[in-house]
Amino acid sequence: MSETVEIENLIDLNYVNFRTEVQTSTKLCVQGLSKSFQTKNGSVCVLDDVNLEVKEGEFVCIVGPSGCGKTTLLNIIAGLERADSGELRVNGRKVNGAGTDRVVIFQEAALFPWLNVIKNVEFGLKQKGVNSKERRDIALEYLKMVHLTKFQHAHVHELSGGMKQRVAIARALAMNPEMLLMDEPFSALDAQTRWILHFELQNIWLKTKKTIFFITHNIREAVCLADRIIILSTSPGRIKKEFIVDLPRPRDDNDVNVAEYSTRIMKELKAEINKVVACEMDTDSCVECDIKCTTEVPSKTDIGGGI
Amino acid sequence: MKSTWKRVVFFALLAGIWELLFLLRIWPEYVLPSPFSVYKTMIHGFKDQTFLIGIMISMKRIAIGYGIATIVGVFLGLLIGRIRIFEETLGSLISGLQTLPTICWLPLALLWFGLNDKTIIFLVAMGAVLSITVATDAGIKSVPPLYIRAAKTMGARGWGLYLEVILPAALPHIITGMKQGWSFAWRSLMAGELLIVCLGLGHLMMIGRELNDMSQVIAVMIIIVLIGILVDRLFFIKVEKHIRERWGLVKI
Repeated sequence: MSETVEIENLIDLNYVNFRTEVQTSTKLCVQGLSKSFQTKNGSVCVLDDVNLEVKEGEFVCIVGPSGCGKTTLLNIIAGLERADSGELRVNGRKVNGAGTDRVVIFQEAALFPWLNVIKNVEFGLKQKGVNSKERRDIALEYLKMVHLTKFQHAHVHELSGGMKQRVAIARALAMNPEMLLMDEPFSALDAQTRWILHFELQNIWLKTKKTIFFITHNIREAVCLADRIIILSTSPGRIKKEFIVDLPRPRDDNDVNVAEYSTRIMKELKAEINKVVACEMDTDSCVECDIKCTTEVPSKTDIGGGI
Repeated sequence: MKSTWKRVVFFALLAGIWELLFLLRIWPEYVLPSPFSVYKTMIHGFKDQTFLIGIMISMKRIAIGYGIATIVGVFLGLLIGRIRIFEETLGSLISGLQTLPTICWLPLALLWFGLNDKTIIFLVAMGAVLSITVATDAGIKSVPPLYIRAAKTMGARGWGLYLEVILPAALPHIITGMKQGWSFAWRSLMAGELLIVCLGLGHLMMIGRELNDMSQVIAVMIIIVLIGILVDRLFFIKVEKHIRERWGLVKI
């Protein structure tokens, strides 16, 4: 099976270049979030006092070196993991556990192999109790959005990596969530497929006006997609710096401006990467990345139901 | 088609060797009957319906026993696979019981249920239930956590999560266990029917033994093998093929 995405169409669509004016209310609010894990060598602080806000309809990318707690942060926001302390609000409401208002798209598409493509897209709607006719209509609508109606009856293993991720996006959108949480969704894909999906995702975002919380280690990807980039430092994970990207859309990975922005951010991240390198490579001592976390165990709050 | 021919030739050859051994007269006829007398017994048995009734009775028992075993086995496997306390307690009991031949339950079963169908059905169920439990447990433990996380973010909870994610994800393992359970069920059925006078295929074999009619014994053995092949063809192979196609696993 071949992937047939008409790239021309994707680019020629009339994009609204700036949607910043419509961003008003706060969609997600994270305050004082901390999390540490117990390991053999004691407690390791992954997230330390993370504060961030995401506005309605905003596209935010979290960038950081591997092991900086990006995924943990996303899992806590998704309600799949429990924070040690801190508060998490969606639309001003305190959230507890996983909810269909925050759907996650994982690095691996996590499609169910016992269901075909359209049944996968219908899965969340079925859990919601939507009747079968309506379910099918909604699923088809979103499959159309990701240009995969031709493959609606295909088995999951028959799809390429990029197609699987598109089905996962359709499956998440079909739930009509408040926000999409994307955990390095394109990092396992080849460069060309990723390039196509960057266009598709921007296109979908402009169409659906969803709030997107996107995690990546790829700075250029972040610049290409985000309104705002948050740099996370490592050991412990803290918010280091924020960048506003106000380049016109649709952006292209290979655009000069995107490249220039990326270089600037890369410089900021360099110190963090050096820290990781120093920690992971065979050096005599690793003072820098030693646990800097407070020794006292923070009291547990009811953020995230955990699994 | 080619493989069918290969099979026909193979079985014809087997029957030929058998007939040859018979013609050599190494053993008397009541020890090794000729394939033709077995064939005649088979035809006669089906004509006067004794075999047909035997098959029906045995199939009914195995269907009930195996059905109970499947339901109970999957349920127990779910408990052991998902709940720690059951794993630590019931799990070790199950692995211990697996070493116990089913027929060891016969004395107790006779006492509990008496000399009747129930005893045999109990034996059949006991034979199959453990392999299904163990396989379900293994299947559930090997469900990728990613599926469960994905399902949870899409709002799957409680029964929905079990019925629509965990069980389907564990199905390839469960089917393997059911297949193994099926053969154990047959063994238990035959053991029970040989020991209890109660019609059925095992009883027909016993009659053959008592009348020194080895051709009837062999005929019943062949019927059991044929039923085994038939069920494998009509059910297990089809289900397995379906799952393999769905999941994109290696083709058989």
